[in-house]
Amino acid sequence: MAAMIEVKGLTKRYRDRAAIDGLSFEVQEGEILGFLGPNGAGKTTTMRILTGFLPATSGTAKVGGFDVFENPIEVKRRIGYLPELPPVYQDMTVRAYLKFVAELKGIARGQLKSEVERVATLTRVVDVLDRVIANLSKGYKQRVGLAQAILGSPPLLILDEPTVGLDPIQIIEVRELIKSLAATGKHTIILSTHILQEVTETCRKVLVINQGKLVDFDTLDGLRARHVDGKQESLEQIYLKLIDPTGELRKKIAPPEPAKIAAVN
Amino acid sequence: MRNALAIAKKELNVYFTTPLAYAMFAVMTVFASYFFIAAVKQFLEASMMAMQMPQYVPADRLNLTDFVVAPVVFNTGIIVAMVAPFLSMRLLAEEKRQRTFELLMTAPVRPLEIVMGKYLGGLAIMAVTIGLTMLHPIVLSAFASGSGTGGSGGIEWQTTFAAFGGLFLWSAAAMAIGMFISSLTDSQAVAAIISLMLLLLLWLASWMAGGADGAMREVLTFLSASQHLVNFVKGVFDLKDLTYFLSWIVLAVFLTHRSVEAQRWA
Repeated sequence: MAAMIEVKGLTKRYRDRAAIDGLSFEVQEGEILGFLGPNGAGKTTTMRILTGFLPATSGTAKVGGFDVFENPIEVKRRIGYLPELPPVYQDMTVRAYLKFVAELKGIARGQLKSEVERVATLTRVVDVLDRVIANLSKGYKQRVGLAQAILGSPPLLILDEPTVGLDPIQIIEVRELIKSLAATGKHTIILSTHILQEVTETCRKVLVINQGKLVDFDTLDGLRARHVDGKQESLEQIYLKLIDPTGELRKKIAPPEPAKIAAVN
Repeated sequence: MRNALAIAKKELNVYFTTPLAYAMFAVMTVFASYFFIAAVKQFLEASMMAMQMPQYVPADRLNLTDFVVAPVVFNTGIIVAMVAPFLSMRLLAEEKRQRTFELLMTAPVRPLEIVMGKYLGGLAIMAVTIGLTMLHPIVLSAFASGSGTGGSGGIEWQTTFAAFGGLFLWSAAAMAIGMFISSLTDSQAVAAIISLMLLLLLWLASWMAGGADGAMREVLTFLSASQHLVNFVKGVFDLKDLTYFLSWIVLAVFLTHRSVEAQRWA
């Protein structure tokens, strides 16, 4: 199996603040990677560098063997990207929007229509194809964003919090969709999320970063073996241990004693 | 090229599905029609004078092209300076605000293709906007053809096309400048206001030239878009005027490309 993503010493600085600092990891073809970390840890920045949207300050990132900075077009051809906010044109209909993205991705003219139908069916947006995106609910917009990402079946899918803002049913739907994409074995998927349950269910590997630095990178079982003595504890326990090794944060977020609440009142 | 065309098509799609383009068509036609009606009225008065006092106003000098078409096209130039910023403001600023810039920049598309697509879309909408005012000479020719002799009376199409060609070049330059400003901000309002200021300055530089002297006067006169449009409107084709408008277009498109490309380096 070849490496789909190779990241070496990746650093991104904004003036004196490092958004990510010396990040190195490899993702093999066909792997489903859960990308975890608190808000502001550098998840989005990493994804933006991988997709060629942002340049790195130092270090290299390769996708499918191509350097993201030297060969941006080759890299972009291999990536389907769903940013944090779905990148949709509010004034277009879903059909016109998906057709436009399909054209940008260089899908042959004769296959445009069938490809749009295919992703629309997969993401269940068929019934809103002719509606203007501005009038759609958040859930539909998110799914249109996802449809856009999987147009042309790119080998690498980068999904930045794909289930944020969705209701429970929609979350399950999106999760099932990602699982079914994973099951085809044609896609490598990077999934950033705060819903740890999602990672447990869909991802085989987990990468945790905090304050721009890699905290741990292993299979779920590997993490369990090393951090909770192999017990079948939830990912939440492992995550808290990794992000907050000293336990200070956990003390802070622990519920206050009832006596203190009464005193405030 | 296919990517650029896809982007241009999308731009046109958005222009025509939102009220913006229609509002700008309205602005353009209202003012151009006013100029047209005023010019026709003046022409009528001049014709009356020519009939009553042929010794002062020679009737064979009166023709619709010089008296109506040319001044209307020239005056429309300033309306172009006011309409173009509102058509160009969204080109890149809207993408940045809506976060769709991320989509364009992560699609397998070169920055130059993005810029060319945007510009082509903008040019097309601009062509439609000024194309609407071509209705006036067409209407005029329906009533005026055949009257008079020696070119007087009817419309001289060569001069008319030169005039509209010049107006289109000015629109193209205005669109390019507006697109560059739009690439610098994510606020459409800011993009529109700055472009409006630049285009009006460019148009009115000849006024300022009037108050200056020496080299300053020469520079301002040369910089003034109206001074270059005026030759086209007279039906005079000078390479200098063509170069003037093309220079603005090339410079602004180049700067926009740099500005989009800068995203990859920032």
